This record gives sequence, structure tokens and C-alpha cells, in this order.
Amino acid sequence: MSTEQNKTYQNFLYPPGGILLWIIILLELITFAGVLVAMAYNASIEPEIFHTSRLQLNVTIGTINTVVLLTSGLFMAAAVHSFKLSDKQKASNYLLFTILLGLTFLVLKSIEYSSKIDAGLTIDTNLFYSYYWMLTVFHVIHVLVGLVILVVIYTKIKKSSKPIALLDLESGAAFWHLCDLIWLLLFPIIYLIF
Amino acid sequence: MVLTVLAGLSSTFAGQYLVPLVLSLALLKFIGVAFNFMEMRKAQIMWRVLIIGYLAVFSIVLLLIY
Repeated sequence: MSTEQNKTYQNFLYPPGGILLWIIILLELITFAGVLVAMAYNASIEPEIFHTSRLQLNVTIGTINTVVLLTSGLFMAAAVHSFKLSDKQKASNYLLFTILLGLTFLVLKSIEYSSKIDAGLTIDTNLFYSYYWMLTVFHVIHVLVGLVILVVIYTKIKKSSKPIALLDLESGAAFWHLCDLIWLLLFPIIYLIF
Repeated sequence: MVLTVLAGLSSTFAGQYLVPLVLSLALLKFIGVAFNFMEMRKAQIMWRVLIIGYLAVFSIVLLLIY
């Protein structure tokens, strides 16, 4: 089965997770990259505003969130691997950890957002915060959608009557990893380099 | 995880090498997630070329801006 799967992955039309998801992933990555480049360009024009605003961000929470998302990605990959080995119990356990870590990310993000709002740092504060709010809220929406997908997958794995297909699990996992990939671009650029 | 903590610390001491260093760490993590977690190292080579190409273009544009 594993060798057959690898042969399937070798076909350009059948990457892990499915070609439709990968078209979506690439389009999303290109969109985020475009906005990040625009942000960097504006930072080069107004370096002081961007630097001063960047210093107001909580790098510690950002770093913890990066670790949280990377760990959730690890558990997601472990869930897919366990499912391929027909160990549904392990797969559902790993999936549960993934969901819990995703919720942890959202809680930390909420704490960060509430402190920003309390300090009066909203989307119309300056150009840096317009980009900050736009990019991070858009990412949070992806995380929320990803969590809904994972919860649906989790309930389907738990149901033994109508098992989930491997492709559906891989597609859900790919979307979750997309959230990770986006954050891996957002965190250094928004929180560290301006 | 080590790369993440390094990236977080580097913003305070890297100086003029901050942008290339932080970008390099981010790209390493990105490739790690895409190729290992998403199993793209098993995918047809054009997908890996697309991912690396995307990262290359993104990095070059950012470095040119800086």
C-alpha cells in the first residue's frame, strides 16, 4: 500500500492532499506573499513608524504561537501516518492534540488582540497596524476554518460505520499545514524584521 | 522549535544581518513543514521546484527591498 501511495504521489496530478488543495495552497501563499512584500515596501518608505510599531508587538507570544503551530503540525502529520497504518485510535488521539493546540493558538491570539485594542492600537492607527490587523485576522480566519475541518475529520474517524477516506484526511491535513506555512512567513516579517 | 527560538532571539542581536538571518530561519522551517509534514518530498519533482521557486522569489524580492 505504501509503495503504491508513493507511486501515486509521483504523479504530478496527485500530490499528497490532492491537486485542488495544492492549487488553493499556492494561491493563498502567493496572496499572503504579495501583501507581505507590499508591507515591506511601505516599511522601506516609513521605517521609523514601522520600527516603532513593531516594537509594540509581543514577540514572546508570537514565538510561543509559532512553537504551538509547529507542534500542532507535527501531531497532524503523526495523525495521518497513524491512519495510513490503520491505527485509528492513535490517529484520532493525535488529531485531538492538533485541535487543542489550534485552540491554544487562538486563545493566545485573543490575548494579544485584546491588549492591542486596550492600548488603542487598531486597524486605523497607522499603516503598520493596518497591515498587522489585516494579515493576522485573515490568518486567524484560516485557523478557524482549519479547526472546523479538523473537528469534522475527527468525528468521522471516531465513527466506525462510515470511515473517512485517506484523501479527505490528507486534504484536511494539508489545509492545516497551510495555516502553519502562512504563520511561518507572517511571524518573522511582522514581528521581527522591521 | 530551536529555529523558532533562534529567530525570536536574533531580532535583538543580529544587527545588519537580521533580515537575511531571520528570513533564512523562516525558509528552513517552511521547507521542513512542506517537505516533511506535508510529505512533499514524495511528490513529483515539479511540486518541489514550485515550492522552492516560490520561496526563492519571495526572499529575493524582500532582500531587494531591504
